Amino acid sequence: MIVVRCVQPGDVDALVALAQETGPGLTTFKPDRGALAARVERARRTLANDAQPFEAGYFFVMEDTATGDVAGVCGIETEVGLEQPFYNYRVATVVHASQDLGVWTRMSLLNISHDLTGYAEVCSLFLSPRYRTAGVGGLLSRSRFMFIAQFRDRFPQRLCAELRGHFDENGESPFWNAVGSHFYQIHFNEADYLSSHGKKSFLAELMPRYPVYLDLLPDSAQQAVGVTHRDTAPARKMLEAEGLRYENHVDIFDAGPVLECHIADLRTVRESALASVRIGEREAQEGEAKSLVSNTSLGDFRCGATAGAVVDGAFLLTAGEAAALRVEEGDTVRVLTAQPRAK
Amino acid sequence: MLFVRPARLSDLDELERMARAAQPVLHSLPRDRRTLETRVALSEDSFRAEVDFPGEEFYLFVMEDAKTGTLCGTSSIVASAGYSEPFYAFRNDALIHASRELKVNRKIHALTMSHELTGKSRLTGFYIDPSLRTPEGEAAAHLLSRARMMYVAANRKRFSSEVFSLMLGVTDDAGVSPFWEAVGRKFFGRDFEQVDMESGGRSRTFIAEVMPTYPLYVPLLPGEAQRVLGEPNRRTLLAYDIHLEEGFEPDRFVDIFDAGPVLTIAVDKSASASSGEWRPVRDGAGGNGAAHLVAVGGAHEFRCVVAELTGTRADGAALSADARGALGVAEKDTVRCVPLHQASGELQ
Repeated sequence: MIVVRCVQPGDVDALVALAQETGPGLTTFKPDRGALAARVERARRTLANDAQPFEAGYFFVMEDTATGDVAGVCGIETEVGLEQPFYNYRVATVVHASQDLGVWTRMSLLNISHDLTGYAEVCSLFLSPRYRTAGVGGLLSRSRFMFIAQFRDRFPQRLCAELRGHFDENGESPFWNAVGSHFYQIHFNEADYLSSHGKKSFLAELMPRYPVYLDLLPDSAQQAVGVTHRDTAPARKMLEAEGLRYENHVDIFDAGPVLECHIADLRTVRESALASVRIGEREAQEGEAKSLVSNTSLGDFRCGATAGAVVDGAFLLTAGEAAALRVEEGDTVRVLTAQPRAK
Repeated sequence: MLFVRPARLSDLDELERMARAAQPVLHSLPRDRRTLETRVALSEDSFRAEVDFPGEEFYLFVMEDAKTGTLCGTSSIVASAGYSEPFYAFRNDALIHASRELKVNRKIHALTMSHELTGKSRLTGFYIDPSLRTPEGEAAAHLLSRARMMYVAANRKRFSSEVFSLMLGVTDDAGVSPFWEAVGRKFFGRDFEQVDMESGGRSRTFIAEVMPTYPLYVPLLPGEAQRVLGEPNRRTLLAYDIHLEEGFEPDRFVDIFDAGPVLTIAVDKSASASSGEWRPVRDGAGGNGAAHLVAVGGAHEFRCVVAELTGTRADGAALSADARGALGVAEKDTVRCVPLHQASGELQ
């Protein structure tokens, strides 16, 4: 069974190996042993209630329990921006109007914003190309919401997710070229690298301090605002199905959208329910929708996907699934029942 | 002999003729006769008034051909720009974006709506007859433009200690301003002329209030708009040079609509105030000397011509009968003389 679980100190080697699969482009997950070990340690301290609020963050790995293969990662930051400020642009509306001149013009203004300070953030998702088959990416991403639903009081009221912005066919960010590049004179990739190495707030300090009129920028830059990178479109769809929405916050470098919502409104938080484990046999059916199932352990959280639904307060797991999720007959699990497929 | 003097109500016919010929339409020289009359009346009142500090006065000068009595140009001074409302300009500020950690230190320019010019005296309304827009007419253009500073220098109390002048910004062959296209049009969605017309002759301030309230980062503007920032229109290069001769300098200000340069000067340092001298009038044939602006009169009466003078102050001002006639002076009267060109001026 493929499960998503909290990272363990022994996972560092596997993480370094996995990070080698990322190739160029993705900069948040590099085969840097020191950085990865620190991330694992930070997650351990967070679980042990031994982390300061500004550094609290969870880190999960996806493991194929049949082989022990670690094939994906994802994370949750508990409260962003408490150490280095968390920068975004807020796309605000201003109306320039004069009745006497017969003018009424709606314009968009980019304001530097720290609005999302203190939000939880889902981040750092990477899935090995070897596992990009139906449902696996969804499990990896949504397991975080199962964790949040189970440990609701460990999180603030709201949550966000930053998505990579639009890049053209030459791999250039039109927004960066129209805005950021003038303030740094470095290439986007360099800025992105610095940004992912804890320098984002240094970079942000160089950005325009006054609001920027979006309408005065080149069309290509205007059109990139709030638009998701081609490769990130499925992730956006998944997050939107979960209830996250674009609320006019975008990344300061590539203008990629920030999706956000109240944690109480997350589909998983609203719809998942606790059930008791029943172990037995089940015949697999072709193409059946899968429910998410997780245990309720903080230190050894595990989440997987399997067919079935809660019946009379119980959920049927095979013996293999129960072992993979580390639960026994009668234990409590959290279940998000599969939605019937849209017709 | 051309001379500059205050406009009179009796000039209305001639002024109307010029107003109709002026292209583009000048706010100081409206085409509507009644509006024009109001302007001239305001000017007459202004010249007549006893003034201790600049207020809502408006001074309209005309250039007259003494021989024919026809008028061939206008120029004016607004004693206090934006007297009852703010006068807007973009101030081009340099902002330093620096980071010690990233070893970056960048100077970024941004245009901020500024009211700083409000209350300062402003030269405006320059219109010269097309027949004088020739190399031979250059002295006439100097006279018409600079007579204003001769008046300012002689009537310091009536004006602010710093004076400015707005130059027409760059437009393409079709008369389109790239700056307006990049900025103003985004806010109005229309041609500037159209907005100007629809404002019903109200002030530019009125229009300015629809313009951006936040600073505009210059590097984020289209290249074409950046290139014309603070650049004078080809058609105003002579006017630009004339201002520089007087001592005006481009400042940090540009026009909010077409980004034309705003030239400023401290009156103390202007040629009219600093290199002028009083000379007694002598009978002379004129010619052969260096061209000078020669002015007479105080607040209420004022006349100015260009004449060639030789020698120093002690030699007096040898003026031809024509010049004396135009100025309305006789021998032994004193006139104020300022060299038309600065001796060391690299602009000559």
